[in-house]
Amino acid sequence: MSASDEENITARAVDTAAALFGVAMQPEWRAAAMMNFATLTGAAGLVLAFPLEDEAEYGPVFHP
Amino acid sequence: MRTASAIASDVRSGATTARAETEAALSRIAAANPVINAFTDVVGERALRTAEAVDAAAASGRALGPLAGVPFAVKNLFDVAGLATRAGSRINRANAPAGRDAALVRRLEAAGAVLVGALNMGEYAYDFTGENCHDGPSRNPHDTQRMSGGSSGGSGAAVAAGMVPIALGSDTNGSIRVPASFCGLFGLKPTYGRLSRAGSFPFVSSFDHLGPLGLSAADLALAYDAMQGADPDDPAQAARPVEPVAIAAEWGGLRIAVAGEYFARGGAPEAFAAVRLAAEALGASEVVEFPEAARARAAAYVISAAEGAALHAERLRTQADAFDPAVRDRLIAGLAIPAAWVLQAQRFRRWYRDQVRTVFEKFDLVLAPATPIRAPLLGQTTIELDGVTMPLRPNIGVFTQPISFIGLPVAAVPVWPDDGLPIGVQLIAAPWREDLVLRAAGRLEELGVARVQR
Repeated sequence: MSASDEENITARAVDTAAALFGVAMQPEWRAAAMMNFATLTGAAGLVLAFPLEDEAEYGPVFHP
Repeated sequence: MRTASAIASDVRSGATTARAETEAALSRIAAANPVINAFTDVVGERALRTAEAVDAAAASGRALGPLAGVPFAVKNLFDVAGLATRAGSRINRANAPAGRDAALVRRLEAAGAVLVGALNMGEYAYDFTGENCHDGPSRNPHDTQRMSGGSSGGSGAAVAAGMVPIALGSDTNGSIRVPASFCGLFGLKPTYGRLSRAGSFPFVSSFDHLGPLGLSAADLALAYDAMQGADPDDPAQAARPVEPVAIAAEWGGLRIAVAGEYFARGGAPEAFAAVRLAAEALGASEVVEFPEAARARAAAYVISAAEGAALHAERLRTQADAFDPAVRDRLIAGLAIPAAWVLQAQRFRRWYRDQVRTVFEKFDLVLAPATPIRAPLLGQTTIELDGVTMPLRPNIGVFTQPISFIGLPVAAVPVWPDDGLPIGVQLIAAPWREDLVLRAAGRLEELGVARVQR
């Protein structure tokens, strides 16, 4: 994926989230939110790249 | 500034009174707070009433609690009856005042301590700096041009400035350990699920912890013991008995290692020098690896942003312009996180926990830096580490995040590697072994390696 593709995906993700959640995004916030989402994408990439067994569950604390 | 232990001992012996100690604390706050900006609320009248009740109990011959007459303060995300719990925000100060104190405030006061006020913090605890765009930054008492550290910045600044001997903070990704490091204090982040979070404003339920900052390991132990105990109002609290710590236990026989790899790079030389000093003093010669620590930090980062965004979604919809911009822009980004990222990060969390458990089969304690650097200048936005310039804010928590991610108990201790400012070392143990981290903190204090100095 090219850098401009990544930027487009980031912009779409942030704009979609703002629309879904009804956030009245100001133009100057958008660039900062995009930068933060790009950092999150990098962090998530590290996590998603790690192979886990299908049986690897998370540790819920919900007590019915 | 006298320790909480010394104050309580003097109040119990009748050498001083709770009222005198409370008045002295209020005077210190009045003198120092205009510059340090640690307190956002001072509850002087309430404090004097509480102190008088302690003195009346003493006069009538009743047994006094272990913290009798000890003034303390809490990060302003703890409920204090009569105050709106602002959690560092502008938005929350429009909320109705809290009807009752947070659980840990009630427990400390039940032990004789005297709440004197609420403390400045980074907005909604999403912060490592101690800066706050609404209330102004809390300032580092060792150099008021520098950061106190966050997000429990007021907690660090109030204790380091000698205003109160004990302050409570919260730690989601490092927010007790970072101010302890920058302000040169002892700090305890207990095991996840140990202390009740009832009556505190949340941030990331998966990682939120509460704990004390103080002047000595013994003071942390005193406060921590007073705060233990089951509370049905915290749904994430673990079913553990009260396990009082005995830091005076004889030293020795512990297997201690230094965290290598990830925890041995990406910091300034003084961060590692401080760890070496502590390791030499404790006789730790082996190096151990926490596998996949970088990924653990990344997973903590994703979960924090997602849970924080979910918590604040409605406020982002209705009052986005009232947020601290640095917090708002991260939370908006958090709204865009796919659910599968979060769930995968949570699955990884359990895998990582299992790996780290094997580390604690071989060792009782592991040492790591608390922060990669000493207190930066207020307003500073970048740091240079290993020749690379990086954004400051996220990188302050590089060594704390992989530990709180899996809820291990940690004491941060203040080390002075040279003539400059202090920097913290993390003493990390297996879950539920707060006793070990506090005993090791006490040992380093006894050896003069860890100390609070003005």
